[in-house]
Amino acid sequence: MKRKALLAVCAAALPLVAQQFQFHLEHLAAKASNTVDLSLNGSTLQFAAKFLDSDDPDEAKVKKLIASLDGIYIKSFEFKSDGAYSPADLDSIRNQLKAPEWSRILGVKSAEDGETAEVYLRTENKKISGVAILSAAPKELTVVNIVGPVDLDSLAELSGHFGLPRLKETKPGRRM
Amino acid sequence: MDWLERELQQALERKMPPDGFAARVSAAAGKRRSFAPRWWMGAAAAVVLLLAGGSLEYREYRGRVAKERVLLALRITAGQLHYIQQRVQRESQGAPVEVRQ
Repeated sequence: MKRKALLAVCAAALPLVAQQFQFHLEHLAAKASNTVDLSLNGSTLQFAAKFLDSDDPDEAKVKKLIASLDGIYIKSFEFKSDGAYSPADLDSIRNQLKAPEWSRILGVKSAEDGETAEVYLRTENKKISGVAILSAAPKELTVVNIVGPVDLDSLAELSGHFGLPRLKETKPGRRM
Repeated sequence: MDWLERELQQALERKMPPDGFAARVSAAAGKRRSFAPRWWMGAAAAVVLLLAGGSLEYREYRGRVAKERVLLALRITAGQLHYIQQRVQRESQGAPVEVRQ
């Protein structure tokens, strides 16, 4: 009986372990006009991969990309008015994305629009083991955590699919 | 003829069955359960088939949902990357942009 209870606790804790940092944004859901909350662990990704069509070029790329991933976790909010989230909400995430595990590779801040976007990489043994994206606008907030050995080139290539325009080539040093 | 032969002859002597023997045998044979399919066997088979079919259908449904969720996740991620790169390209002239490798 105790063993079963322990297993149940471990099973419940698995999603927390799989996610590389905690979002702590649940309280924003009530204020949001639109919310996307996706928690896809490794087994869900592998299960979904079986239903992706290898003959479809777009789906084949996705299938290849997610094959090595251990999870994708996203929270995205759209608000009807400004100020629905606080700087502290962002800081609680940033504070977890610290060295030596995490390094910020890119940050964009527009004082005019009040928008910020940051990309962090997690490395283990000099290999990429995760990506975090933190994107905030006055009426939008999106946090992404991709867990596993992410192929950044494949990830960037996704912009040429799903109806999104393809990313333009950037100068050396500005490429993600 | 010795005693053994006489014993055997008496034991194997043809005898007529008692009255009503044939009728009793026929009645007993009629009461035996036949192996013909019963209604509940058909119902059970139908339930098994329905469960198997339903399970496959449910798996397909779960697969489609998982696939849509993955595509949505990657669509959001790609959208964010696209947005970030646009900002980098647009604002690298003046606005503060930090790029680290």
